[in-house]
Amino acid sequence: MSQSTDLSWHQNVEENGRQPPLSLQDVHVSYRTRKGSVQAVRGVTLDLQAGESLALIGESGSGKTTLGLGIVRLLVDTAEVSPGKIIYRRDGREVDVLSLADGPMREFRWRDCAMVFQSALNAFNPVLKVWDQVWDTAKAHRWNNREEVRERFLDLLRFVQLDPSRVIDAYAHELSGGMRQRTLLAISLLLDPQILILDEPTTALDILTQRTIIDLLRKLKEDLHFTMLFISHDLAIAAELADRVATMYAGQVVELGPVEDIFYRPRHPYSLGLIRAVPTVTGGFEELSSIPGSPPDLINLPTGCKFHPRCPYASERCSSEEPKLERVGDNHFAACWHTDAVQDDIERNGLRGKKRS
Amino acid sequence: MTPILQLRNVTRYFGSGRDRVTAVDSISLDIEPGEIVCLVGESGCGKSTTGRMIVGLLPPSDGQILYQGQDISAMDKPDYQQYRRAVQIIHQDPYASLNPTQTVRQMIMTPLLRHQSQRSAQNGSGGGRRSRRRDVERRAAELLEIVDLTPVAEFLDKYPHQLSGGQRQRVSVARALTVEPKFIVADEAVSMVDVSIRVSLLNMLSRLKEEFDVTFLFITHDLALAKYFAWEGRITVMYLGRIVEEGPTPRLITDSRHPYTQALLGAVPEADPELAKKKTHIELRSAEIPSLLNLPAGCTFHPRCPYIAEGECDTVVPPLERISEGGSVACPVRMSEPTQII
Ligand SMILES: Nc1ncnc2c1ncn2[C@@H]1O[C@H](COP(=O)(O)OP(=O)(O)OP(=O)(O)O)[C@@H](O)[C@H]1O
Ligand SMILES: Nc1ncnc2c1ncn2[C@@H]1O[C@H](COP(=O)(O)OP(=O)(O)O)[C@@H](O)[C@H]1O
Ligand code: SF4
Ligand code: SF4
Ligand SMILES: [Mg+2]
Ligand SMILES: [Mg+2]
Repeated sequence: MSQSTDLSWHQNVEENGRQPPLSLQDVHVSYRTRKGSVQAVRGVTLDLQAGESLALIGESGSGKTTLGLGIVRLLVDTAEVSPGKIIYRRDGREVDVLSLADGPMREFRWRDCAMVFQSALNAFNPVLKVWDQVWDTAKAHRWNNREEVRERFLDLLRFVQLDPSRVIDAYAHELSGGMRQRTLLAISLLLDPQILILDEPTTALDILTQRTIIDLLRKLKEDLHFTMLFISHDLAIAAELADRVATMYAGQVVELGPVEDIFYRPRHPYSLGLIRAVPTVTGGFEELSSIPGSPPDLINLPTGCKFHPRCPYASERCSSEEPKLERVGDNHFAACWHTDAVQDDIERNGLRGKKRS
Repeated sequence: MTPILQLRNVTRYFGSGRDRVTAVDSISLDIEPGEIVCLVGESGCGKSTTGRMIVGLLPPSDGQILYQGQDISAMDKPDYQQYRRAVQIIHQDPYASLNPTQTVRQMIMTPLLRHQSQRSAQNGSGGGRRSRRRDVERRAAELLEIVDLTPVAEFLDKYPHQLSGGQRQRVSVARALTVEPKFIVADEAVSMVDVSIRVSLLNMLSRLKEEFDVTFLFITHDLALAKYFAWEGRITVMYLGRIVEEGPTPRLITDSRHPYTQALLGAVPEADPELAKKKTHIELRSAEIPSLLNLPAGCTFHPRCPYIAEGECDTVVPPLERISEGGSVACPVRMSEPTQII
C-alpha cells in the first residue's frame, strides 16, 4: 500500500461525493447488567456530512461514548447494538458497518474511521515505545515500507507541533497529558482516515494545553476539511469547533442544528438549560441557573419525554407521550412538545442570565 | 479587622536532594473574614498544597500561617483544636473522601455527636442522652436541608454509591458544616460534577457565605467558574508555586496585567461561538510547562513569555507589586499596560 506524504486527500470535499460518509439510522445500544438492560443509546439517526465537524454534547451518562464506540465497534461484549444501521460510504461505495467481518472491520477502524479515546493514556500500549506502536499499526494494515511510514509519522508529529525526537522513542507514560493527546492524534491520522471521532479531546487537560489542541483541531477542520465527530460534555468545545451540534439526553439526540442555532436559538429545554448553566470568562458577570434534578436511571426510564422530571416547561402530555425530532428551522430539529415556550422564554428573559456590571 | 487567615512567605518542599521540588514558593496572602478568594492556576502549580497547609493537613517547610492573628504552629492544644475545627476542606473527589460503609445519617451524626459531647464537656452543661440525640438528629436534618438534600428522609439511609456525584459533594459539605466552620477551603469542589448541576452547588456555597459568614478559599483551574463564584471577591493566580497576580475579580478578568494571566484568560475555550471567534490569544514562545525539578531562573514564566526583557526577566525574580487599579502583579515589564482580551 502506498500513502502520499500529503497530510490528506480531504482538501477537496467535492471529490468525495455529496453523500454523507456516515449515516446512523435508528441506532440502539444497550448494556446487559445484573440489574437489567441499560438503554445507553436509544434510536439515534444522524448523517455526518463530508468535511463537517459535528459536536455531540450532553451530560455524563447520556450515551456519547457508547455511540462513538458503537460506530467503530469497540464496545464491550455485554453491549448490544440493535436495532439500527450504521452506513459508511467512500468513493461511491457503501458498507453496513455492523455486518463487517473482523478483518474488514479492523481496516475500517484505522483507514476509514479513527477514534481518539476519552482517556489518552489507556489507548497506548504501556510496554511499547511510540514508534513501535506506530509501526505495528502500519504493518497490521499491510503497509510495510518502514521508511515511508516513518517519514509520514514524522510529518504528522510536526503537524501536531511535537518535536519528533522527543516523542518517537518515548513510552506513553513519559509524555505529558497534552503531548500524549497530540501523539494520539498523529497516530490516528497515520492511515489517512476519512472520519475522525474524538471523545473528550480536551477534558482533563490544562487550559493552555486545551488551547493548543483546539487550535490544532481547528487546523484539521479549516485547512484539511476533515470530517469530524466531537464528543464532549463541554459546550465550549462545540462552540469553538463545531459546524453542527447534536444535544444528547438519555441516549437520544434531542436537538440538532447549526452551531449558531443551538447556541443562540435553542429550542429544546435541555439545550437551553445547558447554555444557561455555563459561565463564559470574557465579558461581565452573568447570572447562571442550573437544571434541577439529575439524569434518569437508564434501566428504568421515565415515561413520555425522558426530560420531563427536570423540565420547567413540562405539561401533562410530556409525561405520557415521547416527542420525536421535528423540524424547527432550516436544518434545525428539536424533540419537544413545547418548543414555542422555549422561544418565548428566550424572547422574554434573554438567552443567558441577567448581566451585572 | 484582623484577617481570618494569613500566609506569610509560606514555602513547601517535597522530596530531598536532587529530587526536591518547591511546590509552593514563599507565598503571602491575607484573607479577611467573609471574603471569597479564588486560587487559580494549572495543575501542579501548588493550589492543593496551599489548601492542605491552610487546613493543617500539611506543615509548611518555611514561613507562617496565622489563624485569627495566631501562628498555628505556636498554638496551645485547645486553640489548635479550635482552629482545626474552624477551618475545613472540601475535596475534589467526594467518592474518595466519604466512607463507603457509612450511611449519610452516620456520616453527619457522628461528628455532630462528637462535637456536642466536646462542647458539653467544656461548658459542663448536662441534658439527657436521649434529648441530646434528638437535638443532633434535628441538626442533621437541618444541615441536609441547607445543602439541598431534600426531602431529607430520602437521603438519610443512603450509602455514597447510591448517590450521584453532585449529591455526594453535598454530603461532604454538610459534613464539613457539622463543626460550624468559619473558613472553608473548597479544592476543585465542583470540577467533577456535571455542568447542569455545578451552578446549584456553587449557589449553595454562596448561600453559606451569606447565612453563616463562612469565608471561602475556592481552588479551581477553571477561570470561568472563579469569575462566577468570586465576582465580589478576589482572584489569586499561581504559576509554578508562586503568586503572579492577584486582584478584585472584575479587574483581574477585564484588565489583567501579568502575561500568564492574559495567556490563561485568552486560552479559555468559550461556550459561545461568536466570543470564541473574536477572542484574541496570546502566542506563547513555548507550549511546554517547565518541570518543578528544573525551574527557570528569574521570572519562571520567561521561557514562554512573549514580552520577555532579556537580561532582566531571566535573572531577577520579579516582586509582587501593587497597582493602582487594584491588587498586585509580579511583572515589572507589563504591570502598567492595560489589556483587554476582546
Ligand atoms: N460496560 C458497561 N456496562 C454497563 N453500563 C455501561 C457500560 N458502559 C457504559 N454504561 C452505561 O451507559 C450509559 C452511557 O455511558 P457513556 O459512557 O456512553 O456516557 P457518556 O455520555 O460518554 O458519559 P461521560 O460524559 O461520562 O463520558 C451510562 O449510564 C453508563 O453507566
Ligand atoms: N505529597 C506529595 N509528595 C510529593 N510531591 C507532591 C506531593 N503533593 C504535591 N506534590 C507536588 O507538588 C506540586 C504541586 O502540587 P499540587 O499542590 O497538588 O498542585 P495543584 O493542586 O495546583 O494541581 C506538584 O508538582 C506535585 O506533584
Ligand atoms: S417535551 Fe415536555 S418535558 Fe420534554 S423537553 Fe419538551 S417541554 Fe420539556
Ligand atoms: S517578568 Fe518578564 S518574563 Fe516574566 S511575565 Fe513579565 S515580561 Fe514576561
Ligand atoms: Mg464519555
Ligand atoms: Mg489540586
